[in-house]
Amino acid sequence: MNVAKLLEKRRGQWAELEKLCGAMETSGRTDRSGDAHHKGAAGISRFATLYRAACADLALADAYQLPPGTVSYLHRLVARAHNQLYRANRLDPSTWGDILFRDAPRQIFADPCVRIATIVFFGLFALSMFVAANEDMFPGFAERMVGEAALEQMEEMYDQPLQGSLDHYVTMAGFYIQHNTGIGLKCFAYGIFIVPCLYTLAFNAISLGTVFGYMSRDGVEGSDNFFEFVTAHGPFELTAIALAAGAGLRLGVGLFHTLGLTRADSLRGSALKAVPVMAASAMLFVLAAFTEGFLSPSPLPYIVKAGWSIFSAGLISFYFVILGFPRDEFAPVTRPYQSPFADAVDDADGEESDTPIHNRSASGAT
Amino acid sequence: MHVIIETEASSPSKPQILSLIQRMAATSSLDTTIAVVTPENIAFEYQLAGPFRRLPAYLIDIAIRWFFLGILFFVAVMFLNFAGGFGGPFFVAGGFITYFLVSWFYGTILETYFNGRTVGKWACGIRVIDIEGRPINGSRALIRNLLRIADFWPLAAPSQFSSEIPPMMIIPTGMVALVTIIMTRRMQRLGDLAAGTMVIVDERSWELPVVKVDDPRVAALASYLPGDYRVSRSMARTLAIYAERRHFLTPARRREIASQLTDPLLDRFEFRRDIDSDLLMYALYYKTFLADPRAELPDLGPLAGYSPLLRDVNRMADANRRGSDIVGEKTGDAEFADGDIPTAIEVAPDGGAG
Repeated sequence: MNVAKLLEKRRGQWAELEKLCGAMETSGRTDRSGDAHHKGAAGISRFATLYRAACADLALADAYQLPPGTVSYLHRLVARAHNQLYRANRLDPSTWGDILFRDAPRQIFADPCVRIATIVFFGLFALSMFVAANEDMFPGFAERMVGEAALEQMEEMYDQPLQGSLDHYVTMAGFYIQHNTGIGLKCFAYGIFIVPCLYTLAFNAISLGTVFGYMSRDGVEGSDNFFEFVTAHGPFELTAIALAAGAGLRLGVGLFHTLGLTRADSLRGSALKAVPVMAASAMLFVLAAFTEGFLSPSPLPYIVKAGWSIFSAGLISFYFVILGFPRDEFAPVTRPYQSPFADAVDDADGEESDTPIHNRSASGAT
Repeated sequence: MHVIIETEASSPSKPQILSLIQRMAATSSLDTTIAVVTPENIAFEYQLAGPFRRLPAYLIDIAIRWFFLGILFFVAVMFLNFAGGFGGPFFVAGGFITYFLVSWFYGTILETYFNGRTVGKWACGIRVIDIEGRPINGSRALIRNLLRIADFWPLAAPSQFSSEIPPMMIIPTGMVALVTIIMTRRMQRLGDLAAGTMVIVDERSWELPVVKVDDPRVAALASYLPGDYRVSRSMARTLAIYAERRHFLTPARRREIASQLTDPLLDRFEFRRDIDSDLLMYALYYKTFLADPRAELPDLGPLAGYSPLLRDVNRMADANRRGSDIVGEKTGDAEFADGDIPTAIEVAPDGGAG
C-alpha cells in the first residue's frame, strides 16, 4: 500500500482524535466534541480506541515509510492524546493525614538532618541567651547582636500589661501565619544550598536567644510581660523553625551524599523525603500562629499559658517519639510471597501447594 | 534516552567504540527533544521548553498574581468602608492568609489542578510533566514551586552600587536556574531536578503536513523509472525531507543539492544527462510515496511520447527533424531539462515547515 492511500485512510481517525482532544482540553470531557457517539462512556471508549490506533500508527511509521513531516505530526498527536488520557493526580486530601501523622514523624525520627538542625538551633539559642544574660562577663553582647534601638523597642512594647480584643487577635493570627510560615518555607528552599539555610537558622536562633537573655537580666522593664507572652507559643514555633531547616538540609545533603545514586536521582529522593517534614513544620507554624494570635496576648492567668505550653511540648514529644518510632522492627513476620499460580506448577515432590516457596526449594536440595 | 557507557579496565576494542559511537548517534540527537516511552510501549518525542519560553510565562504569572492581589485589596477596602468595621478583623486576617497562599502556592495549585499548566504557561504554550512523561502530582508541583526562590539566586541589590537607589529594591538574577537549565539534558532548573519534572512545549498547530504533486511532468518521468529499482529506507527519508523543504530553496540551489543524489542515478537509469535533477528527485518521491502502481498514466498533453532515456535521444532528434508534432510545439528535451520549474509544482504552503 502506498503512503498516500494509507494517509487518506488514517487521516479521518486522526482528525476525530484531535477533535476529542480539543473537547477534553477545554472541559475535561468528551461530550463537547459535538458528535452523538462521543457522549459519556462511549466517547471515552472511542477516545481510547483512537489513541491506541494512533500509537500503533506511530510505532509502524518506520515500516510504512511515512514522510518525516507526518511522523512529527503523529508524535504531537500522540503526545496530546497521552496528556489527556494520563492526567495529573490531584492533591488528594485523604492522603494528607497519612503524610502528616505517619510519614512525617517517622522521617523526623530517623533523619539526622533534623537532629543537626535542632542541635544548631537550640544550641545557638541557649548559648546566646546565656551570653546575653551575663552582662558582667560579656559586656555589650546583646547591643551588638540585636541593636540598641531594637532592644529599647522591645522594652517599650512589653511595658504595658498584656491585653487585647478579639479583633486584634484575629488580625495578628493571620499575620503570623503569613509571616512566620513564609520564613520557614524560605529556610526550607534555601536548604538546597545548605549555607543560606544554616545562616537563616543561626540568625533566628541568635537574635531570639539574645532577646530572651537580655529580657532575663535583672532590672529590665517589661520582662515579666515578655515571658508571659512567649511562653504559650514557644514550643510550637521554635520546633517549627528547626524542622523547616532540617527539611531544607535534607535537600542540600542529598545533593552530595548520594548513596550511590546519580546526583539528580539522589536529589529527587531526598526532596520526596523532605516534603512530609516540611508539611509537619508548616502545621506547627500554623498552630503556633493561632496560639500567638489568640492565647499569648490575652489577659488570661499565667497558669493557663504555662499549662498550654507544657501540653503542646508533650504533644510534640508524642508526635516525634511515639508516632515516629520505627515500626518495621516490630512488624509481625509475614509469610513469603507465594505465586497465585503455584498450584499450576507440577510439584516433583508432591508437596502441598501451600508450602512456602523457599522451604520447598530447601527441601529439594537436601 | 540514557546512553550507558560501561567503563572497563581494559580499553575497548575498535568495533566496540564504533558501535558505541553509532549508538550514541542513534539515541541522542543534538536537538531539544526528549523521547518518552508510554505504557502502550511506543516512544514519542516532546520538545523541551528553554528559558526564553519559560521567562515570559513566569512574568505573566507574576502579573496575574499582583492583579489578583490588587483586586483583593480593593474589595477589602471597599468592604471595610461599606460595612463600617463589622467583621473587619476577620477580613484582614483572611487577606493575610490569602496573600500567603497566593504568593507561595499559586504555581502548586494551578499546576496540580490544571494539568501541569499555570495561566502563564498556558499562554506561552508550555506544560510541566514529570521526567517519565506522566503528568505531575501534587508533591512534585509543591517541590518545584517552593524551590523557585532558590533558583532565583543570587539576589542583586542595586543599593550596593549606588546610594540613591532605595534599599528595599532586590532583584533576583536567576543565575542558578539559568546555569542548571543549560547544564542538564532535560533543561531542568534546580526545582525541576529536585521534583523530577521537566517543562515541554505544548504544540498547538495541528495541521497535517501533506506534500502535493501537481506537475504532470513528474508522473510522466516517474513512469520511466525502472521497475526493479527499490528505494531504500534512508533514501525514502531523504526524498521526503527534500520534498518537504524544497520550496524554501531557489531553483538553482535545488538542482545543486539534488544533483548529488541524482547524478549516479542518471547513469543507472540510463537517462539523458540533461534531465533536471530536481525533477528527478520529485519523480522518485512521487513514485515512492504517492503513485498507485495500477493507476493509468495521467493525460500528458504535449508531453506524450517524450522519453528521457538515453537510447531514445536519436529517435527524438529524428522525429524533431522530420517535423513531427508528437512533442508539441516545444522540443521534449527542452521540457524536462528546463531549469525554470513552473510554480505549478509547489509544495502545499503549510507543508513541511516543521
